[in-house]
Amino acid sequence: MKDNVKLAYDGYRSDEMRAGLWKFVGLLILIAFAFWTIDVLKIPIERVLGMFGRLGTMISERLLPPEMAFATEPRVVDSIVETIEMSILGAVIGTLITMPLAWFAAWNVTPSRAILYPLSRAIIVVTRGMPTLMWAMVLVAIFGFGPFAGMLALVKATIGFAGKLMAEQIEAIDMKRVEAIRATGANELDVLFYGVIPQVWANWVGIIIYNWDAQLRNSTILGFVGAGGMGLYLREQISIIEYQTAMAIIVVIIVMVVISETASHYLRHRLY
Amino acid sequence: MTNIAIANPLREPKETFRRYAIFGVCAIIVLAVGKDIIIDETDWERMGTLQEMLKTALFFVPEWSFFPKTVGPLLETLLIAIWGTLLAVVVSLPIAYLAARNITPMPWITYPLGRGLIILSRSTHEIIFALIYVSALGLGPLPGILALATRSLGFLAKTTAEAIENANPGPIEAMEAAGANRLMVFCYGVIPQIFPIFVGNVIFQLDINIRRASILGLVGGGGIGLMFAEVMQNLHYGRAGMIVVGITFMVIVGEFISNRIRERLI
Repeated sequence: MKDNVKLAYDGYRSDEMRAGLWKFVGLLILIAFAFWTIDVLKIPIERVLGMFGRLGTMISERLLPPEMAFATEPRVVDSIVETIEMSILGAVIGTLITMPLAWFAAWNVTPSRAILYPLSRAIIVVTRGMPTLMWAMVLVAIFGFGPFAGMLALVKATIGFAGKLMAEQIEAIDMKRVEAIRATGANELDVLFYGVIPQVWANWVGIIIYNWDAQLRNSTILGFVGAGGMGLYLREQISIIEYQTAMAIIVVIIVMVVISETASHYLRHRLY
Repeated sequence: MTNIAIANPLREPKETFRRYAIFGVCAIIVLAVGKDIIIDETDWERMGTLQEMLKTALFFVPEWSFFPKTVGPLLETLLIAIWGTLLAVVVSLPIAYLAARNITPMPWITYPLGRGLIILSRSTHEIIFALIYVSALGLGPLPGILALATRSLGFLAKTTAEAIENANPGPIEAMEAAGANRLMVFCYGVIPQIFPIFVGNVIFQLDINIRRASILGLVGGGGIGLMFAEVMQNLHYGRAGMIVVGITFMVIVGEFISNRIRERLI
């Protein structure tokens, strides 16, 4: 009896010690990794130490207070409107492309598992993986400066972002209703319109709104590479070292994003 | 003709009118916006013909021989993402502690503070953080790491705070009854409960941070973005195409691995 207790206690102790040992080894690996990183990235240690002081002075003396008058200049207001327009148009066109793509990319109801499924999956995965800002730079090189390239970049972002979510929604539907419609002799398109879309529509509308919100966030900085919108003025003000006016643009961006996030949150919760 | 026994409430004339009105307004907005962007703001003359565009696009066909030179910056990008996430993990826990309604120390002061920090971090693009850090600390990967950390701590703190709010109060009360102070309750009563969710979110953020890290170089935050900006400026479009392919590949692999790990965790 006493031996059993001792045995259990010893087992507990050795488990504890083993866990402690693993934690110790993990910590050592982390420290070694940190040193290796500092070496590879050539991070200046002396700069890290004085970092917070410099950040503090930078923020208190050069960034604050934001010169909000700049944000009310007509050209800036125009660019803000352009940003919002770009996000709406990019999100709408992107969604129109995404909807059939999501249908093709859902394994359970896809019209052709051999060709369309892998193809549309590949499109969604690749557009998801490609950074939007780089894609915007490529588009600017092809189509020239302006909101058109930005809009196309947002279309790409929408396909990657909404495509995956929408296809996941389709894959989670109740297949019994689809089978019932198929049993009546319906073709693939009938199945889509009467079996699939009624089941996913509410969720899709939520995704569409959420996606617009995400695209607005993206569109605020697309101008940075010349793809239209207010990012252009952000870049301009930063490059002439007018941090306070740049800060005004940043404040506008934050306010816009918070408003759109609240609106999209409200709309999505009213839907369900 | 329309004496149907059960009226569909969704097909009442008023409801139908409301639906079509909303739909019509949306359609008008989209059309107006489309006209503004595609017709008014775009200089179709300067854009040239379709053939010219295609010619430019073909310059972007990846130059495969450039691949060996992108490996170093890609690795750098990965390291920036990893350290940005680790820093965010460290900073997000105290913020989650402040922003969880059930354990926040002073609900009137610390709760809005925590929530405010989360909103600020989540609604600002990483490029903007990188710009601020670069202007204060100079070029290099360090501002990139800090920008990523600031950007992703909001998400981590928010999800963690929500997990804390949904945590089982039993163990927490038991620890309080045993005389544990706030910190002990947090470390031994709350953290073990939220740990699996937290790890899942950290891996998710790591996956997203790889994507974010790849563009930080455009504003001087280190990583592959710097190289991309250089080759774009020198009009080496083939190399730019190669870099885009490399990043896309890395992000896809990262997402695949992160999905597999998270599936196993949950």
